[in-house]
Amino acid sequence: MTRYIFSRLLSLLFVLWVVSMITFSLMHSVPGGPFDETNQRLPPAAKANILEKYGLDQPVWKQYLNYMWNALHFDFGIPFQQPTTTVARLIAESWLVTVQVGVMTITLAFGLGFLVGIIAAYNQNSWIDSAVTFMAMLGITVPNFVVALWLILFFSVQLDILPSGGWSEPRNWLIEGVFSKDWILPVLAYALAPFSVVARYTRASVVDAINADYVRTARAKGLREHAVISRHVLKNALIPIVTVLGPEIPNLLTGSIFIEAIFRIPGLGKYFVTSTFNRDYPMIMALVLLIAILWGITYLITDILYTRLDPRVRLGGGGV
Amino acid sequence: MEKTTASPVRLPLPAAEASLQHRTLWQDAIRRFFKNRLAIVGLAIVSFFLFLALFADLLAPYPYDYANFTKVLLFPFIDPAHPLGTDDVGRDYLSRLIYGARTSMTVGISVQLIALLIGIPLGGLAGYLGGKTDFAISRVIDIMTAFPGLLFAIFLITIWGGGLWKVILVLGVTSWIGITRLVRGQILSLREKEYIEAARCIGSSRWRIISRHLIPNTLTPLLVAISFGIPAAIFGEAGLSFLGIGINDPLPSWGKMVGISNAYVRVQWHLALFPTILIALAMLGFSFLGDGLRDALDPKLVE
Repeated sequence: MTRYIFSRLLSLLFVLWVVSMITFSLMHSVPGGPFDETNQRLPPAAKANILEKYGLDQPVWKQYLNYMWNALHFDFGIPFQQPTTTVARLIAESWLVTVQVGVMTITLAFGLGFLVGIIAAYNQNSWIDSAVTFMAMLGITVPNFVVALWLILFFSVQLDILPSGGWSEPRNWLIEGVFSKDWILPVLAYALAPFSVVARYTRASVVDAINADYVRTARAKGLREHAVISRHVLKNALIPIVTVLGPEIPNLLTGSIFIEAIFRIPGLGKYFVTSTFNRDYPMIMALVLLIAILWGITYLITDILYTRLDPRVRLGGGGV
Repeated sequence: MEKTTASPVRLPLPAAEASLQHRTLWQDAIRRFFKNRLAIVGLAIVSFFLFLALFADLLAPYPYDYANFTKVLLFPFIDPAHPLGTDDVGRDYLSRLIYGARTSMTVGISVQLIALLIGIPLGGLAGYLGGKTDFAISRVIDIMTAFPGLLFAIFLITIWGGGLWKVILVLGVTSWIGITRLVRGQILSLREKEYIEAARCIGSSRWRIISRHLIPNTLTPLLVAISFGIPAAIFGEAGLSFLGIGINDPLPSWGKMVGISNAYVRVQWHLALFPTILIALAMLGFSFLGDGLRDALDPKLVE
């Protein structure tokens, strides 16, 4: 197991290295640079000074080596769009907001989705089941910015009970944020898709588990219903859910550009667009690496969890 | 329940009978498809949008770029000349919605064509040749998967600029991975199947195996992948245009209309409502169609 994790981490490092090289060369292959004189003219000496300050006068390969050397020492540079702060601080500040939205979304989507999926499975082929199936299909197919606008049209324009956007003040802790109304619509709009996926998969795997022989055996030997559900049905239903849902988590934690744009949330999302447009090299690198790391680690954890939950996987057996 | 009809298709047969069997596979599929009510609804929605896209010039009351500055931000159902109102520069909203279907369909279909053009040869090579070729192609796929897709698209847009064909190119470049992986996996598993081995044993030529067995058996999952890939591309275009970096004015795009409408949402509700309904309908239509195709073409899945 340790050996497996070690080799996976090594291959993650390799992927990160290649991703960083590709991003760096792509960034620098774009004609133009961060200090082009589109808005105001700079005296040549001043421009040379700025380029020298950020090391942009050096050949690209040397800039890359510099960047990687600094990054390995946890120095990710200074964002060109806000030179008074550092990339690490800017990302930490805005990511905190994104993570708040993400954590609330994960809690809502996974909690409610799991519950609804179980209810639908236990009421198989009833109207509850069809309603859940239909809603899950809507949630999976309709893009979140469309859902977001529908929610705004209904709750903040028609009923006028919830704000249509904005993030009143930078909050430092999750708990403080829960007492505000700002997050309700963004989280609802954002949670619908993962909620649908969770509900759909929970329903399918619970239905499978209910009809399995070991559940019949458990009932036959006289176990109480809630013991059957918690010990046999849910435990086995969890296995496929873990693998399907692992990949949703990095998505939710890096936030949605669309949701943040519509609801004017000061999260990570807007930097995806502004950084590439302003040729903010340090920000682009940091964002791409952050996402690549999150993805890699989540996949690794998912695979490990999978072998934990289902010992057959480790033995090389048929799996689920 | 459909298990019994599926098995004869997979048997190796002499040439004449093989083509006969092949036809019944499709007949079976069509029969199954039309028994599925949601699939028919999906087909109807998709056909409707294709119809709008093809005949936009005849259907739309105005050209998409005709602006009447005296009738800006008109509400729907008030002026009979503009049944769905006008947008922020006085262009007829109905016409722009109809032409928007053309943009969406063009993007959806063209992106899939690019993805197929890259994905089939790459996946086929990786699966058929194996060895070093497979290793190289698989590593490229790994790295592309590690890249955040939307960020990569935004990136390429800043390099190449926006506009219809650039958006198609950008989405095409980022969407071939799924097709490649599918074709590679399919060829890899087919290569080991008994009936391929049997065909090889009775002395079928390599070309015959490829054309008679590998291609037809890869075709059905590909068709399903395409029917899910088209709405993904439509979603990608709508997303980029929504952020203001996709389709350029004056060409209409539903995503761009949604993006612009966000500023007017408190008063001009129609600007947001109509394009969002069309996007949702298009996505639903294609996914019904895709589900229907998958169930019809792969009876093993229906159990």
